Amino acid sequence: MKKSVIWMCLLMSTFLFAQEKFSVSGIIKDKKNGETLLGATVYLKGTSNGAVTNEYGFYSLTATEGTYTLVVSFIGYETISKEINLTVDQTLNFEIKEASTSLETVVIEGEESERVNIRKPQMSVAKLNAATIKLMPVVLGEVDVIKSIQMLPGVTNGGEGSAGFNVRGGAADQNLVLLDEAIIYNTSHFFGFFSVFNADAIKDIKLYKGDIPAKFGGRISSVLDVRQKDGNSKNLEVNGGVGIISSRLSVEGPMFNKKGSFLVAGRTSYAHIFLPLIEELKDDKISFYDLNLKTNYEINENNRIYLSGYFGRDIFDISQFIKNRYGNTSANLRWNHVFNEKLFSNLSLIYSKYDYEIILDFVKLDWVADIENFNLKYDLRYYASDKLKLDFGVSGITYDFNPGEVRPSDPSSSINFRKLDQKRAFEAAAYISAEHELTDKLTAQYGLRFSAFSRLGGQALANYANDQPLVYNEEIGIYEEGEEISTTDYKRSESIKTFANLEPRLGLSYQLNDASSVKASYTRSVQYVHLLSNTVSVTPLDVWAPSGRYIQPQKSDQYAVGYYKNFSDKKYSLEVETYYKNVANRIDYIDGSDLIGTNNIETEILNGEARAYGLEILFRKNEGKFKGWFAYTLSKSEQRALGGNAGGPGINNGDWYNTPFDRTHDISVTGSYDLNEKWKFSANFVYQTGRPVTYPNGQYEYEGLSIASFDERNANRLPAYHRLDLSAIFTPSNNKNQRWQSEWVFGLYNAYARRNAASVSFTQDFDTGINEARRLSIFGSVIPSITYNFKF
Amino acid sequence: MAKHNIFTVLLAVLITFVSCDDKIDVDVPEAPPRLVIEASLDWQKGTTGNNQTIKLSTSTPYFDTTLNTDVSGALVRVTNNNSGAMYTFTDQNDGTYTINNFVPVLNDSYTLEVIHNGETYTATETLTPVTPILSTTQSLEGGFDDEVLDVTILFDDPADEENFYFIRIQEEGDLFADLETQSDEFTNGNVQEEFFEKESDDEDETVEYNPGDTVNIRLHGISQRYYDYVSLLIEQYYSGGNPFAVTPAEIRGNCVNETNGENYAFGYFRVTEFDEVTYTFQ
Repeated sequence: MKKSVIWMCLLMSTFLFAQEKFSVSGIIKDKKNGETLLGATVYLKGTSNGAVTNEYGFYSLTATEGTYTLVVSFIGYETISKEINLTVDQTLNFEIKEASTSLETVVIEGEESERVNIRKPQMSVAKLNAATIKLMPVVLGEVDVIKSIQMLPGVTNGGEGSAGFNVRGGAADQNLVLLDEAIIYNTSHFFGFFSVFNADAIKDIKLYKGDIPAKFGGRISSVLDVRQKDGNSKNLEVNGGVGIISSRLSVEGPMFNKKGSFLVAGRTSYAHIFLPLIEELKDDKISFYDLNLKTNYEINENNRIYLSGYFGRDIFDISQFIKNRYGNTSANLRWNHVFNEKLFSNLSLIYSKYDYEIILDFVKLDWVADIENFNLKYDLRYYASDKLKLDFGVSGITYDFNPGEVRPSDPSSSINFRKLDQKRAFEAAAYISAEHELTDKLTAQYGLRFSAFSRLGGQALANYANDQPLVYNEEIGIYEEGEEISTTDYKRSESIKTFANLEPRLGLSYQLNDASSVKASYTRSVQYVHLLSNTVSVTPLDVWAPSGRYIQPQKSDQYAVGYYKNFSDKKYSLEVETYYKNVANRIDYIDGSDLIGTNNIETEILNGEARAYGLEILFRKNEGKFKGWFAYTLSKSEQRALGGNAGGPGINNGDWYNTPFDRTHDISVTGSYDLNEKWKFSANFVYQTGRPVTYPNGQYEYEGLSIASFDERNANRLPAYHRLDLSAIFTPSNNKNQRWQSEWVFGLYNAYARRNAASVSFTQDFDTGINEARRLSIFGSVIPSITYNFKF
Repeated sequence: MAKHNIFTVLLAVLITFVSCDDKIDVDVPEAPPRLVIEASLDWQKGTTGNNQTIKLSTSTPYFDTTLNTDVSGALVRVTNNNSGAMYTFTDQNDGTYTINNFVPVLNDSYTLEVIHNGETYTATETLTPVTPILSTTQSLEGGFDDEVLDVTILFDDPADEENFYFIRIQEEGDLFADLETQSDEFTNGNVQEEFFEKESDDEDETVEYNPGDTVNIRLHGISQRYYDYVSLLIEQYYSGGNPFAVTPAEIRGNCVNETNGENYAFGYFRVTEFDEVTYTFQ
C-alpha cells in the first residue's frame, strides 16, 4: 500500500512540473538504405535532455520553450546537429550516414550510445548488430547469432551440438527468444550446430540477462529480442553468400513508390545434393532451410504497417531407419501509430508454431507433435516529460500444445494409434513501467506486470490416491507412479486451473561522474510454460507443457548490482555486474524418468527449486583498428527437489546439486583487427569449466555384463572446454564505388584442434570385457571454412 | 577420383562433423562395495524348472579388473507365499547358490531371503507367464541395414492385460548377450515382432550375422517393476554419458536390507517364465 502511494506521488510530481514545455519527435533512419535505427541518441546540446530511439526508430523529447541545438548521434554514424526553435510541438525525421563507407563497417557498441548508457537504469543488457555478429569467426562459415551471444559474460551453452543457450545459470527453456516479436521455440538447425537466424535478414539483437523490462514476460531467465531488417527503402539491394554448408540470398528494395520496402531472404544447406554421390548414402537426405520475409508500408507520417514472417525446416532422412522433420513457423502483423509527439503505439498480431515429425521405419511408427500460439498485444509509450517516460500495454496469448500423436506408418505395423492429451491454455498480461529521472544523478525505472494464466479443459484428467501422482517407495527407495483412482472430465469452456501473479520490476542508476555510474535492479518474473527435458542436452523432440493442476508456474527473483565506467574518452569501457537469483517451482525429473509418450507427466516429476549467483566482468575496446572485448564470469548454478507431497528425501537425497548449466569459470575473448582496406582479421577464445556430469562410482556384474553404479547427480565434471577460432576477411579490390561488392571469409574453427569432450561415456569393451571411458568430441580437429559474400 | 574424395571429405565434415571418439583416462569416484544379488529364477516352457541358481557378489571400483567378487557363506532361501513351500539353496563356495527341487507355479508369489554378514535382505516377486515364440525367421530387409542379416521372432500379445517382456539374445561364441525389453504400451493385443541385427563392421565381417551363425533367443514374461528396473539398466549400460541420454542414476532393485536400510543390495529377485529358440542362419 505504502509503495503504491509513493509511486503515485512520483508520477504526480512530474505531471505538475510538466508545464510550459514542448516536444519534438520523429524517426531516425539510415541514409543509405532507409532502415530505421534502434538505439540512436537524440539530445539537446548543453542540457541533460536526451532520448534514445525505440525498436521502430522513434524518439520523442520534451523541453521548456527555447532555442536549442539538437544533436543526433549513433555509434558508427556521422553525428548531425540542427538548430531548433522549440515553441510548438513538432516532428523532425532524420537520416544519418554511416561514418565509414566500407562494406563491413565494424561496429561494436555498448547497449546504447555511451552518453546515455551511463545514465539509463537499464542494466544486464547487451546489444549486437548484424555487422558485429558477422565479423566473429564461426564454425564452417555459418554466421550464428546464438554463438555470438555466448561470447558475452553470463551466457554459455552445452557445447557443440547442443541446442539453445543458458543465461546466468538458467535453462534453455527459460529464454524468451523473439524474432520480430514472435516466440521461437527451437533456436537451432542440425540439432544445435547452427542457429535459425539468417544474419542477412537480421538488423540487430538485444539480450536481456536480467532487469527485464515490464513489457516482456513469460520466461524467467532472459529475453533475446531479434529484429529483422525492414528492407532497403531507397534502392534494390541483393545480398548473398556461398559457404561450405549453406548458401544465402536476400533481396530487398523499395515498394509502393518508396512508401514501403520489402525483404526476402532465404538460406539452404546443400549436403543433400552431394549425398547421392556416395553409394551408401544415396537414399539419405540431411538438410535445412529457412525463409525470412518482411515488408512495411507507410500509410502516412503517423501510421505504418509491418508484416514479417519466418519459416524454417530441418530434414533428416536416413533410409530404412528414421525420417525426421522439424521447424518453426512465425508471422507478425504490426501497426505503428503515432498519436502525437508524446504518444507512440504499436499493435501486433503474432503467430508462431514449432512442430516435428519422426518416422521410425524399423518399428513402423509415425510420431508428430507441435506447439502453436497466437498473440495479440498492444504496446504504448508515453513521453510524459523530459524526466518521465511511460511504457504500458496489454497482451493475450493462446497456446495449443499437442505433445504427441503416434500412428502406424504402414498397414503391416503393429503400432496402435494413440494421441496424448492435447492441452490448451491462455496467458494474459498488462503492464506499466516508468523511466523516471529523479535527480540529475539518479534515474529510476520501475514497473509492474500483471500476468494470468489459465489451463483450459477439453479432456479428462487423472486423479490419484491421496492426491499423489508420484509416490516414494520407502522400502526400495525409489519414486513410483501413483495409483490412478478416477478421472475428472473438464469441458472445453472450463478452466482447469488459473494462476495470477504480480511481477514488480525495479532499476536504479546513480551517476558517479561523467564517466561512471552504479546501477541496481530487481526483477520478478513468472513462467507458465515448461520444456520437459530430462536429457543432458535439449533435443528437438522435447515437448512443452503448460502449468496446470500438477505443474506450478516457475517464479524467479533476480537481484543485480553493477558498476560501469568509460575510459579515455569512451575508447574503453568496463562493466562489472553481480547477480543473485532464485527460482521457485523448477521441474525436476526422478531418476530414470520416462518422458517420451507419457501422458501423465506428473508421475515422472517433482517440484524443485533453483538458485544461481555470479560475477560478470566485461572490458571492451570500442574504437580503433583493434576492437574487441574480454569477458569473465565466475558463477554457480544449483537446483534441488525435495520429496514434498510424494514423500521421501527427493532427488539426489534432497541435496542441492549442480545444474547442467553450472560453469565456475567462463572466459570469452573476442577481437578484430583492421589491417588495411583489404584485410580484416578476427579471433575468439573461449575457456569454460567442464559441464557437470554424473560419473560411475563402481561396477557390478549382472546378466554377465558390467553394470555401472552412479555417483550423486552432476557431482563430477567433464574436462575443461577451451577453443580458439580465427578468421580473415578479404575484400578483393577497393570496390566501394562499384555496384558489385564482394568479400571472402576464411575461417579456422578450433584452431589448435582441441578435443573438447561433448560427453564421456562409460562402456565395456565387447571383445575384452574391460571397462573404459570414451570421449566424444564433436570437432576433434581444426575445421577450416571458406565463404564468399556478395552484394549489389 | 579426386573430386569424389573432396565430396567424401565434405560429407565426413557434414555428417559426422569430424567428430571423434577416443579412449581417455578419467578419475572416477569410488563408492564402498555393496552386495549384489542376481536372483533370477527363470522357468523354461516345457521343463520342470527344478534347477535354479542364485549368484551373490560385491561391487568393485569402476575400472577394477580383478573380478574375484564372489560372496560365499550366505544363507539363501526362497519361499512360495501361496503354498508356504520353502526352498533353501546350497552354497557352492564360488558365489553361486543352487537348488534342484524348486517347483515353479505361474502367478504365485515368491519371497527371497538372503542372510549375509548378519544382515537380512528380502525381496518378493510374482512368477510372470509368457506367450510362446510363434516363429523365427531371417531376412535382409528387416532391421536397420539392408545388407546385413537379421533375425525376427513373432509372438502374440494378450490384449486383456498390460504385458512386459525381457529378451536376451546371444550368438554362440560371443562374450556378451544383447538385452532388450518390450512393453505393449503402443502395440497392445497385436502380434509382436522383434528383430535383432548386429551392426556391420567394415574391418571385421564376422561381427554381423552370417550364414552358419547360431543364436540363442530367450523371451521372458516379466513384472512391470522388473521392466522398469531392467529397462533403465539396459539404457544406462548402452548409452551412459551420451549427451541425448537421460542423466544416469543409481538403479535400485527390489532387494531390501531389513537390518540396515542404507546398506541396500544391487541386483534383483526376478521370477519369470521364458520361451527359448536356437536359430542357425541359413
